[in-house]
Amino acid sequence: MAVTIKSPNVHDGTPPHRLPGRVRALVLVRDQGLTALLVLLVALFSVWASPYFFTVPTGVSILNAAAITAIFAAGLGVGVMTGVLDLSVPGTAVLAGVVMAKSVKSGVPVSLAILAGLAVGVALGVVNGLIVIKGMNPLIVTIAMLAISSGLALIVAGGYDIGGLSQLEFLGTRHYLGIPAPVWVTLALFGVLIVFLRYTRGGHRLLAVGGNAEAARRVGIRISLYRVLGFTICALCAAVGGIVSDAYVQIGSPSASVGTIFSALTAVALAGVPFSGGRGSLSRVLLGAIVLSTISTGLLLANVQTYWSSVATGVLLLGAVALNRWTTRTSLRLLLVSTSDRKAS
Amino acid sequence: MAVTTTPAFELDKICMHYGYLTVLDEVSVRVAPGEVLALLGDNGAGKSTVLKVMSGAHQPTSGTIRVQGIEHDFHSPRRASEAGVEMVYQDLALVDAMDITSNLMLGRERMSKGLRGLLGFVDLRAMRREAQRELDALGIRTAPVTRPVEMLSSGQRQIVAIARAAARLPDRGVLLMDEPTAALGHEQTELVEELIRTMAARGIAVVLVTHNLPLVMNVADRIVVLNRGRKVADIETSRTDSDRVVSWIIGAGVQEDMAG
Repeated sequence: MAVTIKSPNVHDGTPPHRLPGRVRALVLVRDQGLTALLVLLVALFSVWASPYFFTVPTGVSILNAAAITAIFAAGLGVGVMTGVLDLSVPGTAVLAGVVMAKSVKSGVPVSLAILAGLAVGVALGVVNGLIVIKGMNPLIVTIAMLAISSGLALIVAGGYDIGGLSQLEFLGTRHYLGIPAPVWVTLALFGVLIVFLRYTRGGHRLLAVGGNAEAARRVGIRISLYRVLGFTICALCAAVGGIVSDAYVQIGSPSASVGTIFSALTAVALAGVPFSGGRGSLSRVLLGAIVLSTISTGLLLANVQTYWSSVATGVLLLGAVALNRWTTRTSLRLLLVSTSDRKAS
Repeated sequence: MAVTTTPAFELDKICMHYGYLTVLDEVSVRVAPGEVLALLGDNGAGKSTVLKVMSGAHQPTSGTIRVQGIEHDFHSPRRASEAGVEMVYQDLALVDAMDITSNLMLGRERMSKGLRGLLGFVDLRAMRREAQRELDALGIRTAPVTRPVEMLSSGQRQIVAIARAAARLPDRGVLLMDEPTAALGHEQTELVEELIRTMAARGIAVVLVTHNLPLVMNVADRIVVLNRGRKVADIETSRTDSDRVVSWIIGAGVQEDMAG
């Protein structure tokens, strides 16, 4: 049979090949809603908390406050997209931080100490993954690992804060080009992970395993490998977060702050990353973390009692989830009535 | 179609027992290259079991499987796939959030050249070109290859799933399809019919398991009917009609001139 090869133009612009206008509008709302929200919040606080809010120092401090949450959120986000929820993040963070702090204190070069901390993260992630692929419930496994790693952190530190880590100033409070180090770390981490997910085979397969593990298995992808990889990336981000936050206060604190995981998960949820896995945008996770710190900083500068920022965050989160659900459902409904199949010979 | 060549795919006296229960009793099925074979039977007649044996999901108790005349032992779907047998599952197994390209190329991504490739980077453009080429070769023009699969209709999704399996086939491969039209309306069913014909014309042997009798009468070259684990009919579609096929399916008769 003679096979006619058409011009391989992917972006064939004939009308039936394009999505209906309303669907595209809804997709735009879903994808860019968070950006719009951030712009709105900035505008709101610029007026409300004038003249303190709309300044460069405030902007920098908002980013700085968002950095640690964003680092944890990056790992949790990748985990959730892979279809794993790692609750051991705070434990991994403190253990990595304490191992690094202890190494620095005992005279190990700072770079090696940081590597040791990161290695702890990788090891914990691999252990999480290896246990989970044996068929155990990831939530329970990671809760157990949270207990184990935070306990180990206290043991390593002997129960006390490890203070005086002045060698880590370069990673904590120092500014480069007017931007604090944690913000640079955050940007670099997100950059690497975004490129990884979008342009590499590993990233594609990771998302495929998160989206439909059975489909991935049937085309011959080793899904357990990618599950372990998901846990490892998550734990590595947790270790980075722990190290940077210790560097920021120059203290290696062995007590896990479980609250951090919830603000990070809030950022992930605000970004519209569904907990069913397989999809989501890391750049929006970063935006989510920035939105959260904009709210708390803005309310603070507007002289509102700080407890309200927690209430505002919760309301916002519910709103975001509702909006996401609405856009997804409506666009699917519109597609079902409007899409007609076409097959040219 | 000429059926004189070596069968693309052959099950020879396949038996399957679950304990004392005989699910398949000496079932032999042959498919020639470019032939569309419909495998029919009531629920529990054993047609799904035959399909599972063909795709490597189940191992038969006895009997031989030959692909292009060469004997094979399918321990797993992967082995079947390596031998040139692909299956389109009823649940399609697509990754909803990913676009058509990624779904088609999943598991056989095109890597970038040079250092970027070594670092694990994929060549997205090459992948899109390749996906488009594969769809074009099947005459499929449903949607841009950058469209996420979740934004396709059920017919388009079915077609993407079929195209993905077909693209993985070697020349003269074997494509197994489980109820390809179960979720489709009339118009979409016609699209799938056309696609099946296109694939057969390219030399692919197609095995179709379905309850959709009109589809069978339209596209199948030959019909095999199973009843209670036995083959009760094996006949060219042109030599029979739906009434007789239905009588074989419900067990009201056996094809008179059937050998073995």
